[in-house]
Amino acid sequence: MLMNFDKLGAWRWILSGICALMALFLLLPILFIVALSFGNSRWLIFPPPGWTLKWYGELFADPRWLQAAFTSAKIAAIVMVLSVAIGLLASLALVRGRFRGREVLRGFFLTPMVLPVVIIAVALYAAFLRLGLNGTLPGFVIAHLIVALPFSIITISGALETFDPSIEDAAILCGASPWEARFRVTLPAISHGLFSAAIFSFLISWDEVVLAIFMASPTLQTLPVKVWTTLRQDLTPVIAAASTLLVLLTVVLMIAAALIRKGKSR
Amino acid sequence: MLSFLTPARRGSGLGMAMPALLLLLAFFVIPVAGLLSRSVTEPVPGLQNYETLLGSATYLRIFFNTFLVSGLVTLITALIAFPVAWALAIMPSRVAAVVFAIILLSMWTNLLARTYAWMVLLQQTGLVNRMLMATGIIDQPLQLTNNLVGVTIGMVYIMLPFMILPLYGVIKKIDPAILQAAALCGATKGQALRRVLLPLATPGIASGALMVFVMSLGYFVTPSLLGGTANMMLAELIVQQVQSLLNWGMGGAAAFILLVVTLALYALQLRLFEGKAR
Amino acid sequence: MTSPYLHINGIRKTFGDVVATDHVELEIGEGEFMTFLGPSGSGKSTTLYILAGFQDPTAGDIRLRGKSILQTPSHKRNIGMVFQRYTLFPHLSVGENVAFPLRVRRAPQAEIAAKVKRALSLVRLDGFEDRMPGNMSGGQQQRVALARALVYDPPVLLMDEPLSALDKKLREEIQYEIRRIHQQTGVTILYVTHDQEEALRLSDRIAVFNRGRIEQVGTGPELYASPATHFVADFIGDSAFLTGELAEVKDGRATLRFTDGTHLADVPMHGPGARGGKAELMLRPERIDLSDTVGPPGASLPVTVEDVTFLGNNSAVTARTGWGDPLYIRLNFGHPMMGSVSRGDKLHVRWQPQDAHVFTNE
Repeated sequence: MLMNFDKLGAWRWILSGICALMALFLLLPILFIVALSFGNSRWLIFPPPGWTLKWYGELFADPRWLQAAFTSAKIAAIVMVLSVAIGLLASLALVRGRFRGREVLRGFFLTPMVLPVVIIAVALYAAFLRLGLNGTLPGFVIAHLIVALPFSIITISGALETFDPSIEDAAILCGASPWEARFRVTLPAISHGLFSAAIFSFLISWDEVVLAIFMASPTLQTLPVKVWTTLRQDLTPVIAAASTLLVLLTVVLMIAAALIRKGKSR
Repeated sequence: MLSFLTPARRGSGLGMAMPALLLLLAFFVIPVAGLLSRSVTEPVPGLQNYETLLGSATYLRIFFNTFLVSGLVTLITALIAFPVAWALAIMPSRVAAVVFAIILLSMWTNLLARTYAWMVLLQQTGLVNRMLMATGIIDQPLQLTNNLVGVTIGMVYIMLPFMILPLYGVIKKIDPAILQAAALCGATKGQALRRVLLPLATPGIASGALMVFVMSLGYFVTPSLLGGTANMMLAELIVQQVQSLLNWGMGGAAAFILLVVTLALYALQLRLFEGKAR
Repeated sequence: MTSPYLHINGIRKTFGDVVATDHVELEIGEGEFMTFLGPSGSGKSTTLYILAGFQDPTAGDIRLRGKSILQTPSHKRNIGMVFQRYTLFPHLSVGENVAFPLRVRRAPQAEIAAKVKRALSLVRLDGFEDRMPGNMSGGQQQRVALARALVYDPPVLLMDEPLSALDKKLREEIQYEIRRIHQQTGVTILYVTHDQEEALRLSDRIAVFNRGRIEQVGTGPELYASPATHFVADFIGDSAFLTGELAEVKDGRATLRFTDGTHLADVPMHGPGARGGKAELMLRPERIDLSDTVGPPGASLPVTVEDVTFLGNNSAVTARTGWGDPLYIRLNFGHPMMGSVSRGDKLHVRWQPQDAHVFTNE
């Protein structure tokens, strides 16, 4: 009876209550930030005495914020493309390959995801100092790629696993060469997986903080780095404005991902 | 016999894994190995860095703080996640969908944005303190930021989705007929909960808890911002040693300790929950 | 004699220690419907996959119209195939699925449109061009797969248990369609199945596979009336086996001796055998008769009835031989003994000489 919602009696309210409280707990801080970004108070008093758009104005007027956002987008876009491409190849090997140690290799590929990022950040920082890659775009891209790749591999492997390889064989028998079959049949069939991997990779790079702190230089900063350095100094509402825009981006991408999922299951 | 039915492909496919493999070897394995080797070679070869870390009171306090906070966060998160996951598994799917959307939104919202929210909420003049004073629970504002209390609250906020979602998966897989059978056998709700539902959900709780604990141990952003430098945790120690003090030996040693503890806990999870908690 | 249209010549395939096909030798005529029949693991699918080019044989050759096809890669062999699993391209419409082989051959658009229409018409799915595979039933999907496999007029069509995922009624419908399409197009078909009824329904000839080898090739009636081995006798039609010993062997006919001393003389024998060797007598329940009078020697055995069950258009009688082996007899409705047989009756089982077979091989 415990799994039957209607038969729980009083417990139903307790469970629902906890659930509702938790949902509010998760949601309210985000709404709070959005509200604050339009508030008039420099000291983040809530509720604010008045409403304004000046924090957004400050945000967009400051070239350093815009530059940071642009850098973030550039890096995230490159990471997205590389992550999907390399992740696709790796997934093909993991799902279709027949060599010993496949499971071990899969575990190895997923390791950057399970280890604390700070270890990778510090290790790469040391290595890049020697190689001169610190504060460079390639360095940034490599660092983010390392942590985005596991998500990409998981997503694309998942899509590949549900794709019957016999369909690719049928394409070959129809006359397509093996690579032609992969391009014309397999890739389109797993396109939802590729899109999801792309969105994940973009978001991971876009939001990534720890690696970015180490990879950044005074001239090369991503948006999270700018937020981080600002936060260390003071809690200006400009950050609330920047955060709201970030939340907006998340919502947009989440809706896109959901629509892709819906399109696939139709 | 399935291999006879799946047509063979020329080659083993290992070649396609090469780009990822080389990338990880060059920019993951080697740098981490390099860092760890520096921990025993700088400033002079030997284990002094580890002796200092594990011997001095200041550093030990950092380890203690880290484990304490991680443990508290895991405990609180588990206590909240279980009833929530249970509720989500059985409530009407329309309502559950809304809650899921909120959980996912929270999980994917920028970490800094979320931490910033708590920095503002928990400050002395922040909303939390003002509401506590308004309802008469306290007279003086509490110090909730720049200490471990703030860190714990912030971390619980971050970690909740990571515990709720897998636990939901586990509970959803439990056949409701089992609980119905328990009721028919005469068990009250409390007995069924204690003797049937909880034991069946335990692998999920344990694996979720392990994951949250490990993540909390190595977390950097939220403990730094909400804890302040006086209440450092392990990740910030590593960053400080390396970035501010350029002390590669100590930084590497602290990183290595974190790595070993992380891997040990994962090995423990694999051993205990081989396939069960998947 | 001219060389056969399709010649599978001594194909052998091993996977490490495992032998999937041992020595498969078969000649298939142009336009013939040949079925590979056998249990799973018997090598029939492996042979098909070697034909398609997905596996390379360890030894042997395959010649189509006199030329070996083994050197040609799969996508150039111009062979059509329908799989057991649904293999339509999920992101393409039905029309685009069927057009795919023509597109990769860079055929002109007008030709593509015409051929797609013709192929869909052949499988009776006219007008389905714009449908998506996800919105179609299993039977419809397999019909589209068939259209796609035939749209480029391949010389050979391979079918690997294409109907086993469908329910019985649907299966029979599509079996009928396949037969019709075969008659209409005259394409050479190689069909794999483990269902003897399906094989008998569809084929011109059947090759019975067992443990990597073809035990017998022939038409349905040939396999039923003159099985060459124990396995074939067992796989096609119902059969009962009585184990005994060879008392005498002369001119391809044997005298069998059973454990209680009963002798059965002058029975046609298949396979080698010498005096004293083990042998089995095969009788089909519907080819033996129950009578209260003894039959001619060598075509009659005394039995004791154990059980009678009425099954509608026939009755199943379980009896025991003198030495204790069970024997099943099927009596059609209307048989003179039908109402009067009961437990304990001592009767005689009789048969026509050509309906009994002795096997010394497995």
